[in-house]
Amino acid sequence: MMTLIIGFLIGCVFGAILFLGGASSYRKILGTLLLKDMTIIKLMMTAIGVGTLGIYLLDQGGLAHMSIKPAYVWGIVAGGAIFGTGWAISGYCPGTCLVGTAEGKFDAIATLIGGLVGALIFAWAFPMVDALLLQNASFGKITIQGLLGINGLYLAVPFSLAMLFAAFFLLKDRYE
Amino acid sequence: MNDNPIISWKIAGVALGLLLTLATYLVSPLGVSTQFVVTDAIVLHKVAPALAESNTYLAKYGIEQDWGVGYGWMLILGMIVGGGVTALIFRDKQPAGDKGSMPAMWTAKFGPSEGKRYAASFFGGLLLLFGARLAGGCTSGHMISGISQLAVSSMIFGVVTFAVAILVAKFIYNNQAKIS
Repeated sequence: MMTLIIGFLIGCVFGAILFLGGASSYRKILGTLLLKDMTIIKLMMTAIGVGTLGIYLLDQGGLAHMSIKPAYVWGIVAGGAIFGTGWAISGYCPGTCLVGTAEGKFDAIATLIGGLVGALIFAWAFPMVDALLLQNASFGKITIQGLLGINGLYLAVPFSLAMLFAAFFLLKDRYE
Repeated sequence: MNDNPIISWKIAGVALGLLLTLATYLVSPLGVSTQFVVTDAIVLHKVAPALAESNTYLAKYGIEQDWGVGYGWMLILGMIVGGGVTALIFRDKQPAGDKGSMPAMWTAKFGPSEGKRYAASFFGGLLLLFGARLAGGCTSGHMISGISQLAVSSMIFGVVTFAVAILVAKFIYNNQAKIS
């Protein structure tokens, strides 16, 4: 029960951040994908920079409940390509379409319904997809530091700093 | 007129990174796309149980004892409630260009047809969730949470997704978009 309440409260803050930060805006998402308005990519890189450091500091004390997704290369490349196409067409991702729906945006509601249908289609395509794309070139739940054979924090610190440096100093908006 | 989001990317980014850290400490990292399957499974288990049971992928989710409502599903419910309440409170502060269902840059390119925009959004949503389930996560689970855990799978997803999305966006707008 406690876990459900925590999930709900974390979701509330997540939704609020996405709305307040402009992530549920088509203009802001397409602005980033057209490499003109870097707001959203800077937001994401900052979140990753802070998150990497936070998670690996927790991990030093054995307090991080990590969830590493398995690296089945072909499925991820194909899925990422299909996902990226849908992202550029709708201007939403699965999380931001929920927030857009809550704002009463009809295009977000259409994306949400499309998403429910897409997930259902995947459920029926799963046996075929599984044999074709998920079983081959599958390397399990691997991390970069695992491949390098070093403590996660030694990689997390420079990676985090690089993300924050790129967000704060390298990425610039480019309007014509 | 102020055209920027209500809070800056710096504040939003730091807040999201801290929220991810808190979630990872308390339960598990953030994720959204799995819950689309869970929702499908909950509905299908209700309206056509035999059909739901017959599907190996759906049978794993939304089982009758708990109706699939766990931490993850409560999280997406929270996103709708939190996003909705915040939108209600701060509606006046939201930049005009971020409001509504018909983005100005879309209508400048494809005309004022709402049907066209909603059909494209539906198709986009369909691709989003098919792709996310195939890859095992979306912007939250793979890109934000996964890359922050330095997962190889999520790094691949992040690079491929951004590369393809940038190409498709360029193709759609032929570099002529007016972002105002």
